[in-house]
Amino acid sequence: MLSANPFERRLQFSGILLILGLFVEAVCLFWTRPIAFVLFLCVGGLLLALGILLFLFSLVGSHTPPAS
Amino acid sequence: MALTSSLLLLLITASAVLIAVLVFRPDLTASQGGKILAFFVLFLLPLICLAMGTNYHIERSKQTQFCLSCHEMEPYGKSLMVDDPAHLAAAHFQNHRVPADAACFTCHTTYAMFGDIRAKMHGLRHVYVHYLRTPPAPEDIRLYDPFNNRECLHCHLGARSFEEGAVHTADPALLPAVKANKLSCLSSGCHEVVHNVGTLKDAKFWKGAP
Repeated sequence: MLSANPFERRLQFSGILLILGLFVEAVCLFWTRPIAFVLFLCVGGLLLALGILLFLFSLVGSHTPPAS
Repeated sequence: MALTSSLLLLLITASAVLIAVLVFRPDLTASQGGKILAFFVLFLLPLICLAMGTNYHIERSKQTQFCLSCHEMEPYGKSLMVDDPAHLAAAHFQNHRVPADAACFTCHTTYAMFGDIRAKMHGLRHVYVHYLRTPPAPEDIRLYDPFNNRECLHCHLGARSFEEGAVHTADPALLPAVKANKLSCLSSGCHEVVHNVGTLKDAKFWKGAP
């Protein structure tokens, strides 16, 4: 399932982290206890932030040969 | 809140579906359109979801039922229903002098710069104590700082009943001292019955509006 291309593979990892973060965020929406706020911020927020950073890193790290 | 949560859930679901498309078909990003799509789906949409989610949770944490969801706070919720106008918190709650759905937050936030953030940091500490330490008995819970008159004056300042009340104007030095926070509204013998959770077992309770 994972791509052989390093850029695409990083995008896939980034996407997986983001989906996990969004899942945590969705679960916390239905949980009306103060711990939901902490989980949303610490787990969901961390996963989303890591996913976004990995996406940005994949953009910076991808090497595109200059057009001749 | 229900509409906001539905919209947020819709946005989260749509974002997750679009992200899943890119996870299963990363080759889509080879084209320029695919790269733009990736930027929206892997950067902008999650950021929007995170910002909206944070705002939603912060707004929800202002609700009375949120504060009372911890069992340590149950007696404080009960004290809002005491059938006695001398009970300050109960009189405010029952007469809607504070919004009934944000009663705790209205009085216990700090009406100053970063007051909301300070209240949230205190809330995080409460969660920590609740789960990882031994929470104090409800009657032993104390405020971090003495209650500042600023929180009362946020609503009462300029109100006729406050400015021209017979007791308030009997001594000309009283109101300036209250406004300067030199004389506490609560602990100077005037409005000192607030929650008094230690004496609730003898109290009579209002059943609520029919």
